[in-house]
Amino acid sequence: MVVFALAAGAACAQESLVHTLERGDFVLSDALTPPPDDAPWQPVRLPDNWFLSHPGDTQVGWYRLPFDLTAEGARITHGLYLPRNSARRLDFFFNRIRQGGNRGYGDPGARNWAPPLANTVPALLLKPGRNVMHIRVVAVPEVRQGLTRVMLGQGGASRPLYELRYATQVTTFFMFGAAALLCALLAAGFWLRERSDTTLLWFAITAFAWAAAAFPWLHGAYTPREFFHGPLAFALRFAYAVPMLVLCLRVAGKRWPLPEAALWGFTLVGLGLTWLLSEERQGPVITYWSVTYLAALFALLVVLVRSQKGRRRGAFWLLAAALVFAVGLNAHDLAWWMGWIDYDSFQLAHFHIPLVLFAIGATIIDRHFRTVSAVERAKLELEGRVAEKAREIEANYARIQQAEHERALALERQRIMADMHDGLGSTLVGLLGSVQSGKPALEEVERRLLDALLELRLAVDALEPMDGDLGVVLGNVRHRMRAAIEDSGVKFHWQVGELPHVSYLTPQAILAVQRIILEALTNSLRHSQASAVTVSAQAEGRWLRIQVADDGVGFKEPGASRGRGLDNLRRRAADLGGTLDIQSDHGAGASVILRLPLTH
Amino acid sequence: MPDAPAAPVTSVALVEDDSATRERLAASVRAQKSLLLVAEYTHGAQALAGLALHAPDVLLVDLGLPDMSGLELIRYAAERYPACDILVVSIFGDEANVLAALEAGARGYLLKGSLQHDIAFDIRDIRNGGSPLSPVIARQMLKRLRIPRALAKKTGEEETMLTAREGEILNAISRGFSYAETAQMLGVSVGTVHSFLKRIYRKLAVHSKTEAVFEANRLGLIR
Repeated sequence: MVVFALAAGAACAQESLVHTLERGDFVLSDALTPPPDDAPWQPVRLPDNWFLSHPGDTQVGWYRLPFDLTAEGARITHGLYLPRNSARRLDFFFNRIRQGGNRGYGDPGARNWAPPLANTVPALLLKPGRNVMHIRVVAVPEVRQGLTRVMLGQGGASRPLYELRYATQVTTFFMFGAAALLCALLAAGFWLRERSDTTLLWFAITAFAWAAAAFPWLHGAYTPREFFHGPLAFALRFAYAVPMLVLCLRVAGKRWPLPEAALWGFTLVGLGLTWLLSEERQGPVITYWSVTYLAALFALLVVLVRSQKGRRRGAFWLLAAALVFAVGLNAHDLAWWMGWIDYDSFQLAHFHIPLVLFAIGATIIDRHFRTVSAVERAKLELEGRVAEKAREIEANYARIQQAEHERALALERQRIMADMHDGLGSTLVGLLGSVQSGKPALEEVERRLLDALLELRLAVDALEPMDGDLGVVLGNVRHRMRAAIEDSGVKFHWQVGELPHVSYLTPQAILAVQRIILEALTNSLRHSQASAVTVSAQAEGRWLRIQVADDGVGFKEPGASRGRGLDNLRRRAADLGGTLDIQSDHGAGASVILRLPLTH
Repeated sequence: MPDAPAAPVTSVALVEDDSATRERLAASVRAQKSLLLVAEYTHGAQALAGLALHAPDVLLVDLGLPDMSGLELIRYAAERYPACDILVVSIFGDEANVLAALEAGARGYLLKGSLQHDIAFDIRDIRNGGSPLSPVIARQMLKRLRIPRALAKKTGEEETMLTAREGEILNAISRGFSYAETAQMLGVSVGTVHSFLKRIYRKLAVHSKTEAVFEANRLGLIR
């Protein structure tokens, strides 16, 4: 608009070369040529709004507008300019010779959005001194037809005025229509992706309506039958108003089914009336509807302002400003319609289109980004919560592990206690008994002490990592009994090959295996009077077979207890998931065979 | 000694703060003609000072000394007096202590509470190449020194990698075979087994050092 203002300034600069014809005479006459000077001419002042000066049905009248030219001026072709194509038909006569007119308005937009009119006046038709211009006017007073001021410019002097007017009334309309179409397509595209967002839908509908309003201009060649002019003009003038109002309601977060339905009904009634009524009777319809829409727009502004109380963001203020602007522009046009302001003034209502589009678009974009950032926040929060949960789970897991660890420790303590009780404890108690008996054999005491120490060492060894290698476990028993074996003087055979991995070699299992082998070996060494002892171990399928064999006296009877007791050994073997067999022929040696599974 | 040529006498010193144990150990050493007890120390500092003077062939060390860690003493003595064979005196001969002692430079361990003649055996063994290695410890050594070639190259530990023979020896010992049996199984002499073991001990000590360096490097202590 700044551009227009500048252009207007430039146009005014040439005003000195432009005659503005404001005073003249008027006569009602449907003559086809200018009435003679003795016709009943009445003085008249332009602009002449027939709604005010000649209310009623369509009439035909003549204007007589005198103007003076210098001899020099009369030799120059002049330009004729009317701010608005303001009547159904206009015919121009210069010195009683017809020179153009409007082409009638084939398109309804011409009636409602009134483009300016320009014409050329050849110098041939002009003369120095007084000239007279006659204009034949066919006008419909009800739709505010009549005659605007007439401007006559030397050469192209009036052209800038026409251009400015055209740009303001027509070009902008094109532009806004195109912009609206673009917005409409965008919004529709978005809406197709996000069907639940009705605001987008209403935005698209409103923008489409605006784009449609500019349609007749884009297709000047298209002229609907006159029968449709009324409703079409009405639709173009008002149809966008309802979707826009609904849209604004949605943006405000409101949904008023009843008033909305009433507004639609009201619009349909208006459309029907313009269809049914002749052009001459449409005036009041347009008046009442204009007033109503303006009131609705104003009400909406109030609603919007109230609805946004407390959360007035930039986009809201933009929309409010756009609506205030729209109210102002519509009020201006209504004032023109009512004849309250200059008949020649611009029609401005369409200027609110880009601003309202922009404001609502900004609101939607703002809302979109708020949604996005809300989603982002929610996502962050969710991530935070997930992380927190993960930490909790980790902490729980650590607690459980701790508890598990403590439980394992407790079990281990229990086991050590039990072992101490069974092994070292009982050995020491036996020793104590023999000492307390008063005459302990020193050898016996030493032997028992060594046994106790061996017990203790094996218990310590059982804690070492054996990595499932039973060969190491057996080797360790031999290592610990080295002195005893060497002292016994038996021929000792060790046949332990590479053994497969045993899965369950816990300290407890290791100790159990060591005890069994220790017992078996001790038995052979101490009690069997054997000359040779053989320890062998090998895999047998899914089992390990460990044998301690001697060539001694054997057992007196199978299963009879010797040393600390074979039952004890069997129990230990069973605890490991294995078996213990004793093969003994009296006098022909004995074998203790331990079978252990490779896995549990 | 006039009635030579007897077996060469081995001089023995011992470090032990518990007087009863010390007495017993001393008595065991004295009981052996082939052994000569040259010094008894009750503290580590005492031993550090005395070693220079007495230069024993064998040093018996208790790991739990009142003034310093037995391991420190072993490390010091092993470095200063490579000719001195160090034996750790331990009640259990447990893997953690013995392995640490071996890494520090000890040659073996003595079990407290062994029969008197065992001590003599063990000292004799150690002079020959090393005391009997327990299967558990042999296995641990096997695990430590069996470094994959690629990794050894990367960490510069190639010299501490076990040879196949050394691995076989440790493997046999870890399954309970005596040195003699091991030697027989591998078709070598017991002396060879002993010298292999000596080499393995050295590797263990070197390995523990490079490992310490490697670890320190990894932790950024050495640049």
